[in-house]
Amino acid sequence: MVNISKSFGEIKANDNITFSVNYGEIYALLGENGAGKSTLVNMLSGVYTPDSGEIYVHDKKLRFSSPGDSIGSGIGMIHQHFKLIEIMTAAENIIIGQKRSFIIHRKKLKKTINSISEKYGFKTDPDKYIYDMSVGEKQSVEILKVLYRGADILILDEPTAVLTPQETEKLFTILKKMKEQGCAVIIITHKLHEVMEISDRVTVLRRGEVAGTVNTSETNPKELTAMMVGKAVDLSIDRPAILKDEVMLEVKDLSLIDRDGIKKLNRVSFNVKAGEILGIAGVAGSGQKELCESIQGLERRKRGEILFRGEDIARLTPRAIFERGLRISFIPEDRLGMGLVPTMNIVDNVIMKDYYLQKSLFLDREPARERAEHIVKMLNVHTPGIYHPVNQLSGGNIQKVLLGREIDANPDFLVTAYPTRGLDIGSSHLIYDELNRQKMKGVGVIYVGEDLNVLLSLCDRIMVLFEGRVIGTVDASTATKEDIGFMMLGGKEC
Amino acid sequence: MLRMSARTDCSRNEAVIIRTSAILLALSAVAVFIMLLGHNPLSVYLSMIEGAFGSGYRITETIRKAIPLIVASLGISLAFRLKFWNIGAEGQIMMGAFGATFFALNFQNLPSVILLPLMGLASIICGGIWGAIPAYFRAKFRTNETIFTLMMNYIALKWLTYLQYGPWKDPGALGFPKIPGFTENAVLPAFFGLHIGWIIAVLLIVIMHIFVNHTKRGYEINVVGESENTGRYAGMNVKFIIIYTIFLSGGLCGLAGMIEASGVNKTLSVEITRGVGYTAIITSWLSSLRAPVIAIVCILFAAMIQGGTFIQMAFQIPQSAAQILQGMILFFVLGSEFFIKYKISIINDNKAEANQ
Amino acid sequence: MKKLTLFSVLVLSALIAFSGCGKKDKTTIDGKEVVMGFIYVGPIGDGGWTYAHEQGRKAVEKETGIRTIFKETVPEGAEVKDVIRSMIDQGATIIAATSFGYMDYVAEIAKEFPAIKFLHCSGYKMGENLSTYFGRIEQPRYLSGIVAGMKTKTNKIGYVAAFEIPEVVRGINAFTLGVRSVNPKAEVHVRWTHTWYDPAKEKEAAKALLDEKCDVIAQHQDTAGPQQAAEERGMFSVGYNSDMAKMAPKAYMTAPVWNWGPYYVGEVKKVLAGTWKASDYWGGMKDDIVQLAPITANAPDGAEAKVNDIKKKILDGTFDVFAGPIKDQKGTVKVPAGSALADKDQLSCDWFVEGVVGKTKGK
Repeated sequence: MVNISKSFGEIKANDNITFSVNYGEIYALLGENGAGKSTLVNMLSGVYTPDSGEIYVHDKKLRFSSPGDSIGSGIGMIHQHFKLIEIMTAAENIIIGQKRSFIIHRKKLKKTINSISEKYGFKTDPDKYIYDMSVGEKQSVEILKVLYRGADILILDEPTAVLTPQETEKLFTILKKMKEQGCAVIIITHKLHEVMEISDRVTVLRRGEVAGTVNTSETNPKELTAMMVGKAVDLSIDRPAILKDEVMLEVKDLSLIDRDGIKKLNRVSFNVKAGEILGIAGVAGSGQKELCESIQGLERRKRGEILFRGEDIARLTPRAIFERGLRISFIPEDRLGMGLVPTMNIVDNVIMKDYYLQKSLFLDREPARERAEHIVKMLNVHTPGIYHPVNQLSGGNIQKVLLGREIDANPDFLVTAYPTRGLDIGSSHLIYDELNRQKMKGVGVIYVGEDLNVLLSLCDRIMVLFEGRVIGTVDASTATKEDIGFMMLGGKEC
Repeated sequence: MLRMSARTDCSRNEAVIIRTSAILLALSAVAVFIMLLGHNPLSVYLSMIEGAFGSGYRITETIRKAIPLIVASLGISLAFRLKFWNIGAEGQIMMGAFGATFFALNFQNLPSVILLPLMGLASIICGGIWGAIPAYFRAKFRTNETIFTLMMNYIALKWLTYLQYGPWKDPGALGFPKIPGFTENAVLPAFFGLHIGWIIAVLLIVIMHIFVNHTKRGYEINVVGESENTGRYAGMNVKFIIIYTIFLSGGLCGLAGMIEASGVNKTLSVEITRGVGYTAIITSWLSSLRAPVIAIVCILFAAMIQGGTFIQMAFQIPQSAAQILQGMILFFVLGSEFFIKYKISIINDNKAEANQ
Repeated sequence: MKKLTLFSVLVLSALIAFSGCGKKDKTTIDGKEVVMGFIYVGPIGDGGWTYAHEQGRKAVEKETGIRTIFKETVPEGAEVKDVIRSMIDQGATIIAATSFGYMDYVAEIAKEFPAIKFLHCSGYKMGENLSTYFGRIEQPRYLSGIVAGMKTKTNKIGYVAAFEIPEVVRGINAFTLGVRSVNPKAEVHVRWTHTWYDPAKEKEAAKALLDEKCDVIAQHQDTAGPQQAAEERGMFSVGYNSDMAKMAPKAYMTAPVWNWGPYYVGEVKKVLAGTWKASDYWGGMKDDIVQLAPITANAPDGAEAKVNDIKKKILDGTFDVFAGPIKDQKGTVKVPAGSALADKDQLSCDWFVEGVVGKTKGK
């Protein structure tokens, strides 16, 4: 890619970017969120068209106007969100969208797929249905799909975001095989250790520009971080000690069956102390969301007890809990779909949880305005103003508004689900610091997370969920990533 | 090759230019059509405007047509704010008119001051219930409100047909199926040459604006409309909010029905709505659900209908042609909304060029 | 975008430059132009009721030279008031409202505008400035009944009718009397549509009657829908309003038709002469306002001779369609021999004569 530029309206997503990838190498694109990584590869895969600049593949100048053109040139893109049809088998998904013929030669197809699998070390059954597959298997199907179409340049957008450590390990083995077979692999990520582990060369993007390209063997995480952020950053996360030994929240035998009759939580029991951060780990959909929503009073179909300072709140609505003077703040996973109203401004979002305490029929926004200004100042939210709709802010600033509102309510207890997902390193650390500050104030915290490194360094204890059950709880200061990864897949505590 | 992409950066100026071009394009396309009919487009357009605003009488007529449209649009906008696709305004208007007529026919001896408020209240309750039924099912069982409200329209229509041909048929009409006319005390009085429905409409616009933007209830509707999950998260009783908001929405449509029955028709008939319930869907969309804008859009819409009637007679243009004309203008204006939301760019379709 | 705007402006201005504009001479009375407005319940191309009135409007323009305006497809609801008001706003001084259902609204508006002259067709409410006008369509209807009665083999004749109002009931009675005058065994089966103008619904009703073994279809509707139903089934039909031979060449036999021109022209001439007064006009075949359309080859042999015989008597006043004895459906004598049904009773007629199968009330 030579001198690629792309703008969205006023924003320059990519500015004069040039890089090259060789066959037989794994190449990493590293950058914080919003650095322009996705835009860049979307141009390679034909989703966007560059405003200026040229793309050469095999020394041929190409111009892609659709994803089809790009696949035709041997570029295969694996998106972060899989584009598979659940009710079809792996083989059917692989050939879908292929023009060649109407009749499917099943046997021939299976043979081809198996030979590709063998070549790169996949263990995928072509006849398995997608809905029966784990996230890792689905990803394999996605990769097979582009390989089947003859791609020899592979682009993976944040491939490990949804994988367990074990699955990540498997994926990396496959990628290395591909490299050996002469494919070019481009991997987009913001996780430093992955870059260090797998890539040969790395280009760091910052605010749409190339911050530098280095050989992986000649660099270290610290240097890369400095390139990403633009200045040296302290990467360590503090873990202050728990102040007092007082159980704040106790959950006993909590079970929950959802609308469709599926058991989401199965006799979950645990407790959280005042001033403790309890981490919750597990593959996506293990019951984390349901657990958080149960504590906050959103889920009503539950059984069991939730004792908050000895008082059972399991049957109460969020408002009833609030009215008893119990302040449980909740930062939901779905920020814009649950935590905030995207089209409303910061003031209207700040007022959301306590507006109803106002006596008058009319809504007085004055106190909320002051609080909004306070939050913007306290958390350094980048916004044109407090009357700016939150969906026009960047992901990190959205999260700051949400966190700010929830912390500003002076909570006794804080439930957070993936609070740093999609946030850059700087913003993430700001949030870890804030959580620790709450901890020091004696607030009990539940931290649902996916990055095991963070869980291990931030939390006091880590509870692992699998299919709605508690597999085990480990002390974060002694546990290892591998232990937790094993438990996340349903394995018992070692 | 053409490519379509969502735009987020449409400035106010651009939007104005796009909308103006849409109207100009509509006018030129329609002009061709008018010429084919053998008329001078400019004089047709001028007389359309003249027909809608040319004299005190015509302005009154335009506003008379705008009143039910405004009241029903306000009602619909409330439902749309909740993302509850209320297509049932037509039926709610009919049921509102039914409720009002019930009192008008059965309590003919009451004085106006008592009878009219009673009729108004009855229309709000009837229209409201007609809206609240699908809302209840949506809140409780997540039924599709679009289909539900639409079907409710047909039930309302058949109910009025039954009344008109059956129990409420005017015995004095020698067998002609019509419902008896209202007595004088059941007719909305006039104020400044127009029935007082216009005052109701003005009041409702102000009240609606305040309600939506400056009350706690209005705030809840905005939150739940954006996302029911957020509403639940914030501790709101989402089901209750849905049901009473749609009750209000249907109630306003019902009130529009009462205004039409009492102020204009002075009776009830199956023709009572004149399609207002459907037109109001368009007007509330075009107004982006904002109450003050609704007033303007509805008056322009009424002007288009009024002007259309006028040119039909002045130029002897057939009814169907006049409707095509209105349809074309609408088509272009609605079409321009697409260009405000999306950008079309032309891409050269050369896939692989040889190097240099 | 700017290019588009510019383009539209250019197109608009070009169109305006190239199109001309002409105005006709005006006919005035006391310095005020006389303009006549016609309000139609259906479109002028319905080939029936509205079409017949439209011919009348054209006759007015041609013979008196005044300007006329019209509006089609005006529903029989409050909207007609808006239409009348905007016609007056556009200068109309005479207004002809051509459907029964407009009556109450026309009566209401007539009080509001005493200087405007109103003509309401087929109603019964009159005023200082509100005339009613209609024709004795029963006379040609009776004649068409003769044709139908001679034609039917199954002795069942279908009759598609709009509303249960005296105008329609009276027509069915006259038709049935005509049928039974030549074929005492024949029955007339009535089906209500509750619409004046709805081609599909009218056709459906006719088909239902054909399914019941009717072999001749008559109608009191505004479109040729029932005619086409008969044509499709290879059966025969009697039209209404205007000559429908073209719409159903193999089925159509004849039709009682309207000829509004003479009435409208006469009224306008009176207005221009300053002698107009509200009146209650009810003309018959001898006034030429109603006629029987030419009988086609589909009609049975001898029908034409029989029809001409009775027609002559109607024209010279020696035959009254509603002359006794007339029995109702139950066999009760309603009109004894030697007398005839008075106009007053005809106008409020709500019972069927013997030989009609159907009800005058409800569905």
